[in-house]
Amino acid sequence: MVSDTLRVRRGEEAYPALLETISDPPPAVWIRGRLPAGPGVAIVGTRRATRYGLGLARSMGAAVARAGWPVVSGLARGVDGAAHRGCLDAAGSGVAVLGSGIDVWYPPEHQGLGQDLVRQGGAVVSEYPPGTSPEPWRFPARNRIISALSAVVVVTEAAVKGGALITARLAAEQGREVFAVPGDVSRSTSVGTNLLIRDGALPILGPEDLLEALSLVMGPPPVRAIEPQPLEIDVPPAGASVEMVVEANGGDTARILAILGRLESEGRVRIEGGEVVRIT
Amino acid sequence: MFASTTSVVMVGAEPCPVRVEAHVGSAKEVFKLTGLPDTAVREAKDRVRAAVVSSRFSFPSRWITVNLAPADVKKGGADFDLPIALGVLGAAGTIPSRPVVALGQLALDGQVRAGRGTLGAAIVAARMGVPCLVAEESAAEAASVSGAAVFPVRTLADAVDVISGAEPRPISRPPLADATDTPDLAEVRGHPLARRALEVAAAGGHHLFLHGPPGSGKTMLARRLPGVLPPLTPDQALAVACIWSAGNRSRGVDPTPPFRAPHHTASLAALVGGGSGTIVPGEISLATHGVLFLDELGEFPSRTLDALRQPLEEGEVALARRGISVTYPAAVQLVAASNPCPCGYAGDRHSACKCRPSSVDTYRRRISGPLLDRFDLRVAVRRLHADEVQGPPGEATAAVAERVAAARRHQSARGRLNRDLGRPELDRLAIQQAGEAMLGRAIDASGLTARGFDRVRRVARTLADLDDTGVVEECHVAEALALRGSW
Repeated sequence: MVSDTLRVRRGEEAYPALLETISDPPPAVWIRGRLPAGPGVAIVGTRRATRYGLGLARSMGAAVARAGWPVVSGLARGVDGAAHRGCLDAAGSGVAVLGSGIDVWYPPEHQGLGQDLVRQGGAVVSEYPPGTSPEPWRFPARNRIISALSAVVVVTEAAVKGGALITARLAAEQGREVFAVPGDVSRSTSVGTNLLIRDGALPILGPEDLLEALSLVMGPPPVRAIEPQPLEIDVPPAGASVEMVVEANGGDTARILAILGRLESEGRVRIEGGEVVRIT
Repeated sequence: MFASTTSVVMVGAEPCPVRVEAHVGSAKEVFKLTGLPDTAVREAKDRVRAAVVSSRFSFPSRWITVNLAPADVKKGGADFDLPIALGVLGAAGTIPSRPVVALGQLALDGQVRAGRGTLGAAIVAARMGVPCLVAEESAAEAASVSGAAVFPVRTLADAVDVISGAEPRPISRPPLADATDTPDLAEVRGHPLARRALEVAAAGGHHLFLHGPPGSGKTMLARRLPGVLPPLTPDQALAVACIWSAGNRSRGVDPTPPFRAPHHTASLAALVGGGSGTIVPGEISLATHGVLFLDELGEFPSRTLDALRQPLEEGEVALARRGISVTYPAAVQLVAASNPCPCGYAGDRHSACKCRPSSVDTYRRRISGPLLDRFDLRVAVRRLHADEVQGPPGEATAAVAERVAAARRHQSARGRLNRDLGRPELDRLAIQQAGEAMLGRAIDASGLTARGFDRVRRVARTLADLDDTGVVEECHVAEALALRGSW
């Protein structure tokens, strides 16, 4: 048994009320850290994401966290990890729902991410006893907890087959709102989200658009959403390559690079693998 | 009777003068060759005899001893034919004895063929202040050495004419060859980030790491670096030519910095030098004062990459084989390229990567941390869109090279390239207060490591040099942070 982990059974006072709102609540959950009382915003998507999906997930994770809502996701590779990272960037509290025992980090490289979530006031949750290994069939069941803990599920990038669409379907069944980010119709990782939009999901056009839509569903954000501080250069919400930013801002490479470097040192953008992501 | 001439053997890239002493003694027909000759040198006896006779000189039917000094340096090849023939004829009294440097193989009919150490012969002749006799076809190469009086000789008889004072004039030194055509940066469209990185790399001599999907233009960019670098000084050009000739490759005394791009299947010896018998220079030495480009860096065996680290650090490579040891220069600027993952599409905006995450990790881990630390600049190169491919041409090489040359002048005034600034020098670097503060913030905000901190400061110094300012300003620190890149 892990020392900082709490096991809560159904019927106990500490059992998350949100889990009682679904048709098949887990008999018990293991919680590490502090689970927020109110509903959060789930940001989910494919594990094999493109920069487009990753950049958006990260900047939306940051936007949601800055507004004061918890960011809920599955700690998986790809979109999930980017959403958690965005939440950490903005010093928000987030929830990761695992498909394995609470002491089994999967994927292993996301152990630090999970621990940072707990350290920053969020939580890691699992319905499986400690020691349970991650099995592919456990993940769809885990997804119903992600949507249960959220008022809205945002899908940033998803193929036709995959956990993200399962989460979206479960969310709809649980009465949660489903938002989806439109994408290129010819790109396999956007087919799923485009289908969701065709079937009635609200299309989301960027972090600011998301905040607006969220305040309609969830009421005003608990923390007054700080007006996004304008950067002195244009960086698209979905992120962009350094070169696109240079070209979109007049093409003076040395000057734009210097601005980007300063913004990064101030923690307002991040530059990774030649891509710029907005954090504010 | 005794006579001597001088010839040359290359020890590494250094010409080593060899005194060819000939003695003609009592009337007994013997031809002895001493002084650590290899088989090819030993065979000189037969070629020399035939060539002398074919040239209508009489070959002494006596006890002939030829000694090659110093005796402890191994001599190989057939380049001693001409000096041996001249020595023997001189010792026999057939021709006058006169100090010359001679180098070349003899055909049986007396024709002189080019030898391997032509440049070395010219260098030694210039130092000794004596005429230099080489085959006609390599005379131009020899004449590029300043101070050498080069006499091209087609046949042994020509060589005898020179020595007998028939006064043919030495050929004059040709002007330094024009720079070889290198591809121009104007042909590179788009890629503002990579172009900037290339300029900064050239200005500070920084090693450059380019990563991006296949076909994004990494090789195209790397090939344009030599054109941006300052041209070699005559001394550097000569040193490079000597290394190349030690590697049996011909390259005139050309001011263009060399560019070498060995394939990742190249052997360790091909890269750092070695080989059995004569120790030939590797690619890292052939690229001295120029660019060593390693495409698909992760595909090189890790043993090979590890072997490159020390030469990169020290600027030279020491090779030892069976008691012979040779040091070749290895002062290269390294440019390496890699795909971001095995399928090549990780991080691409438009195509999803098809690799398993673990295979991406394995792929990236092949490039070890200590090697990666050598690259001050790590830049993502992105595939261009169709409209960018048709965009306006970029700035031409000449304009960039001018700024690079100006930045380099600041560094030569300080005595070293920014690439070589160590931590003590970096700690003394004059950085504006605001820049220092930004560095401090970057350590907190983006987890800048100690090594990363050094790299950023080196690049910031170069950016200040490009801006012609003595103090590193805030904007230089900021741009260096943005150029730091990740991998």
